[in-house]
Amino acid sequence: MLKRIINAFITVLLIMSLNFVLFRMVPSDPALLMMNRDPQTTMAVYWRNVETMGLNDSLPEQYIGYMIDTFTLEWGTSYEYRMPVFEVTKAAIGWTILLVGTSTALVFIIGMALGKVAAMRRGKATDISITGFGIFFYGMPVFWFAIVLLIIFAGNTSWFPVAFRMTPGTEPFPITLDKIIDILHHMALPTAVMTIGGVAGVILIMRNSLVDVLTEDYILTGYAKGLSGKQVMRRHAGPNARLPIVTTLAMDVAFIFGGAFQVEIIFSYKGIGWYTIMAIWNSDYPMCQFIFLIGGVAVVVANLVADLVLVKLDPRVQIT
Amino acid sequence: MMVRFEVTLDKITRKAFSRNPVLADKLGLTAKSIGRTTDHFLDTWMGKAGLIIIFFFIFVAIYARLFIEYDRFEMGIYDHLLDMSWEHPFGTDNMGRDVLTRAAEGTEPSLIVGFAAMGISMILGTLVGLASGYVGGWKDEVIMRFNDMFLSIPWLVLMIVLAAVLESRSLGTIIIVIGITGWSGTARIVRAQVLSLKERQFVERARAIGAGDGHIIMKHIFPNVVPLVFANAILTIAICILSEATLSFLRLGPSNVETWGKILSDAYQQSAALNGPYAFIIMPGLCIVFVVLGFTFMGYAMDEVLNPKLRQR
Repeated sequence: MLKRIINAFITVLLIMSLNFVLFRMVPSDPALLMMNRDPQTTMAVYWRNVETMGLNDSLPEQYIGYMIDTFTLEWGTSYEYRMPVFEVTKAAIGWTILLVGTSTALVFIIGMALGKVAAMRRGKATDISITGFGIFFYGMPVFWFAIVLLIIFAGNTSWFPVAFRMTPGTEPFPITLDKIIDILHHMALPTAVMTIGGVAGVILIMRNSLVDVLTEDYILTGYAKGLSGKQVMRRHAGPNARLPIVTTLAMDVAFIFGGAFQVEIIFSYKGIGWYTIMAIWNSDYPMCQFIFLIGGVAVVVANLVADLVLVKLDPRVQIT
Repeated sequence: MMVRFEVTLDKITRKAFSRNPVLADKLGLTAKSIGRTTDHFLDTWMGKAGLIIIFFFIFVAIYARLFIEYDRFEMGIYDHLLDMSWEHPFGTDNMGRDVLTRAAEGTEPSLIVGFAAMGISMILGTLVGLASGYVGGWKDEVIMRFNDMFLSIPWLVLMIVLAAVLESRSLGTIIIVIGITGWSGTARIVRAQVLSLKERQFVERARAIGAGDGHIIMKHIFPNVVPLVFANAILTIAICILSEATLSFLRLGPSNVETWGKILSDAYQQSAALNGPYAFIIMPGLCIVFVVLGFTFMGYAMDEVLNPKLRQR
């Protein structure tokens, strides 16, 4: 376990280094970008920016400076909002976690149920329609699917709001029941897009691993000792078929984030993804850098957690 | 019934090389096994459906220019933002260009991106996986940490940042960006396979009779990795095409060619999603959906063929 944690830490360090290198490759002058948003644009301001941003230091010095800043929670100042990036994005992080968390939970529940049905009726019409449905939505560009749902449910029927996290002009706190309903109403479409897009992967993995498991001898033994189909499924097949899903989910966290970005842009849902794309369009590099970092760390942590969960679920797994 | 490639390919090969019986025998066996794989592949409904879809789009990519009636750049002032009609089946865009023409023009770059970026990721992934799995030790550790880094970074963000960093975005640079962000999954799969192959007896036997590392990798390990990479490659094409569409949609795609993502981006910016014409936004998206569907079908069919345990029942 210790080795896993050390490896995860090394991975985080590497992500930070890549983060440093990548944004030094950007073909624009950070001091100038900072200055262009300043009302008093004089050369003095420019040189002050160069000095405060440490652009006169050598690259190794800048690198060490960046590492120290990151570990002391100094994550830089956004060009666009002229505030520390964490201040800008801290609310957005919560909103994204709400969106991603809800849809991931739904993906799990629906995906495993449908995968099970498909595996039990392998080769029949039910199986073909479930897998077909899964693959159809698996290959759908998230942003396009979001637009299609927008056309159907927000443009034509106005059952759901077109955009935003909640009715503009209201604050989430203090929480009241009306506000919760409002938030859920706004979240419905984005969550639906992410759930339907993500559920396909889980269905297919669950189906294939269950089909695999059902050929094992212990399933036959289960039937031989007089268990019903339901009992075999719950006690013998289910727990084994679920294992691959844990690992895949951890690997997929990066993809789930990718989906969240596109959904947030289409629905103007101001989460992390919305801020990222805006930051890129505005050349707001400190923001990009910060989001890049937290995204990477989130995936590393998710993988660590998946390892722990796997040990709990499968006693055969040994972590070295 | 259908043609059985297993028999036909075998016969054709043997006939073609009938002057050299030894060679004919050897090649005949290879052709036979390729034929058998093809047969199994075409036996699955996914394989058939996928192949038909992909052939259709390849046909469009090659011959589109013969059939399309409008010039891609032909604009019209009075017929902009039209909805579907017989004259313009996909409607027209904000500058009065025919969307079907644009979509047909966009087929070729989209397919090229899919295949080329897949090629880059597969080559990189296989090389890294082979090296890392075979060499082992601390070098393996170092490579795997880098691999972990690539797996952990939000893939879309890395691609977006790389595309934003590039000063000129052409088809080639976008292919490279997509290619180098997608190899890490393959590397991990290949490495796992190599680790198990390395311990097998045939490798040990080869080493005992004095084979070098290069020979063992090329003749004994690589051929056993190929089927795995192949099934993975088909699915990767689908992901590469999706990546390109996403990048283009975010206005970070290739600037020198027409692509489906770009049409969608234009449509979105004209807020076609809210005011119509809906065809402008639905149809190019459906093209992407079907191409991706085709490759995904083929990928899963291939998986079923190469995984005998699934095929038994």
